[in-house]
Amino acid sequence: MKRFSPLLVPLGALAIWEAVSRLSRVSHELLPPPEKVAFRLWDGFAHGGMTGDLAASLLRELSGFVIGATGGVALGLLLGLSRPANRLLGPLFLGYRQVALFAWVPLLSMWFGGGEQGKVAFIALAAMAPAAVNTWRGTSTLPHSYIELSRVLMFRPLDYVRFVALPGALPAILTGLRSSLIAAWLATVGAELFLDVAPGLGGRMNEGRETFQMDLVLASVVLLGLLGLTFSRLAVAAEKSLLKRRAA
Amino acid sequence: MPALDITGVDRTFHVAGKPVPALRDISLSVHEGEFVAIVGASGCGKSTLLRLILGLDRPDRGEVRIDGQPVRGPGLDRGIVFQEHRLLPWLTAETNVAAALRRSGLDSAQRRQRVAEYLDLVGLTAFAKAWPAQLSGGMAQRVAIARALVNRPRFLLLDEPLGALDALTRLRLQAELARIVRHGGTTALLVTHDVDEAVFLADRLVVMQPHPGRISDVLTVDPAARRDRSSAAFLRVRDKVLGMLGVETEGARAAAYETAA
Amino acid sequence: MKIRQAGSRVVAGIAVPLLLLGAWSLTAREGWLPDQILPAPGVVMATLKEFIASGELQDATLISLERVAKGFAVGAVAGLIFGAAIGLSPRLNRLFGPTFLGLAQVPLLAWMPVMILLVGIDEALKVILIGIATFIPVVLNVAQGFRDVPPALREVGAVLLFDPWSMLMQIVLPAAVPSVFTGLREGLANAWQTVIAVELFASSEGLGYLMSWGRQLFQLDLVLAVVVVLAVIGFALNWGLARIEGRLGRWQLRPA
Repeated sequence: MKRFSPLLVPLGALAIWEAVSRLSRVSHELLPPPEKVAFRLWDGFAHGGMTGDLAASLLRELSGFVIGATGGVALGLLLGLSRPANRLLGPLFLGYRQVALFAWVPLLSMWFGGGEQGKVAFIALAAMAPAAVNTWRGTSTLPHSYIELSRVLMFRPLDYVRFVALPGALPAILTGLRSSLIAAWLATVGAELFLDVAPGLGGRMNEGRETFQMDLVLASVVLLGLLGLTFSRLAVAAEKSLLKRRAA
Repeated sequence: MPALDITGVDRTFHVAGKPVPALRDISLSVHEGEFVAIVGASGCGKSTLLRLILGLDRPDRGEVRIDGQPVRGPGLDRGIVFQEHRLLPWLTAETNVAAALRRSGLDSAQRRQRVAEYLDLVGLTAFAKAWPAQLSGGMAQRVAIARALVNRPRFLLLDEPLGALDALTRLRLQAELARIVRHGGTTALLVTHDVDEAVFLADRLVVMQPHPGRISDVLTVDPAARRDRSSAAFLRVRDKVLGMLGVETEGARAAAYETAA
Repeated sequence: MKIRQAGSRVVAGIAVPLLLLGAWSLTAREGWLPDQILPAPGVVMATLKEFIASGELQDATLISLERVAKGFAVGAVAGLIFGAAIGLSPRLNRLFGPTFLGLAQVPLLAWMPVMILLVGIDEALKVILIGIATFIPVVLNVAQGFRDVPPALREVGAVLLFDPWSMLMQIVLPAAVPSVFTGLREGLANAWQTVIAVELFASSEGLGYLMSWGRQLFQLDLVLAVVVVLAVIGFALNWGLARIEGRLGRWQLRPA
């Protein structure tokens, strides 16, 4: 019985939702019953072009993520390993991070004339910061004993990076990549909603909102939630398998 | 009647599905005012025994009685000093000691006086308002001792209290501990794997062996031998105990030869 | 020697920004990029001054901050209660934890269309969204803080015969404080990010709206001016929170 208790609340909520939807006078447009949402979700994939939306959103996200995360890790390594780079770029990076992320949307959309690159650029920006911060922290907080060890073993700088810094910072880097992936996803959804992008899940949600089709909107929310969950699980699994051989 | 009476105690834990007999058929009587040291290697169950006396755990078989009454839970008659000082990091030294007095029934003036008295006993009056993070290991442990004693408990339990400290601080605090416990006439039970410490401090030594945890020997230590760490008498007792614990020394072999002869 | 070190740090820190500023100035002056893409720094400063003089900037800032305050207050209080509940009670955690985690997977802004259909686009929308943005990190951190009380310290409470209330107030709560603060800090950062995002697209006032307006009129100088203001506010918020945290966490001082 204990094992099933996590399901109590969602199932209970679904039951209440169903009851309210059927028994109250709230219109079905405002509060569609759960099965209508489920149907809309299925229908969206079968006939409504949601596959295309999903593909477009994912492509955008992954392109932005790859660009942003790579840049972020590189920046983090630079800031963490090179004292001069840290002194020169550190404050600027910290200053940049004070600005709310979505503030860059108007700027980027104007610079890229509203094209696809603008959105990908924004997503890349979103992905960059978590990757950079975590990588920076990982490389700059290596135990001092490791640094002394490499000196004693006469490591050259490149050896140090390869054999000590990178493996040592790997857990932090992976955490950063995980946060980066989530940030990219949030940025994708946000940007698509705001810029009313189609094809794309955001644009589809906007369509649902504009035409007062709550079932479409909710179906998209469910889909986004499932996607978010999948991303998280994948990222955690990847992290675990990459760090598997390490002792506690 | 002995102040503390342990009869036929068993305690088994289950780790990863397998039963681990931490204690098997433990029987021990402790009299008022005695200083008893329990020595043994890791895994012989000595800390488990202490937790049973403290009331943080219950035996599977047998009984732990104080004045004939079975122990059902913690009480102010038993104070404990753990190996880590376990001072609450967000309270100063004096408020940490005062925390032990919440159930004592004393009014605030009395409490303040008691706290000052025991901080003075452990020599830390000057550091009453310091935070634990500002104290050295030895000082923090002294505050923990004050906290354990401030209720004037009948029993003072010490679970490897000096294990986390460096060797020099340890020696100094051993002398302190001897003075403090004699001062109050408290009945003390010390768990340690440092045989020298046990011989130095205790009236009686209980030697435990692991797998399963059991008492193998009980020795009485002659107060004369205890006085001087370097005396032949001290070393004889020490080596004898070390031998029981499987540590061979020149002296141990000679002692065994002597007893055999 | 220390002053020299500090001085050289400052110089190094502002070297690159100054360089970029110089390059920016040069680009604008030489006209390498059209004014629409990159207005001169001087123009941006002028716009900033203009909007301060007319009071529009202050008004917009206050509106945005007020929204953050309302949403944060709601989200933080709700988050503290819910987080404490699931952190202290394993049963409540089993019941509500997974549902909460599942709902937290949905990107925050995805709730916007749902909320717009339900409550329209006025203040309620913003407060709700900011509230959610605050709620999630607060719950996660608070729950963990309550769960991670060191068992060693709980034992001290048991040995000293603490009753459940004393245990809570003397041991569990103080032990959880650092995590609570981390949660509040993250919640505030999220709240701030959300208010700007929401104002960009569903509001007619506030800093986000100013940016959106600037964009619609192709006035990049206004947009950049607001970016500067956002950076300043961001710094101020962080600094303020760090100060509060420092005072409450006095006991975490490392020995000198």
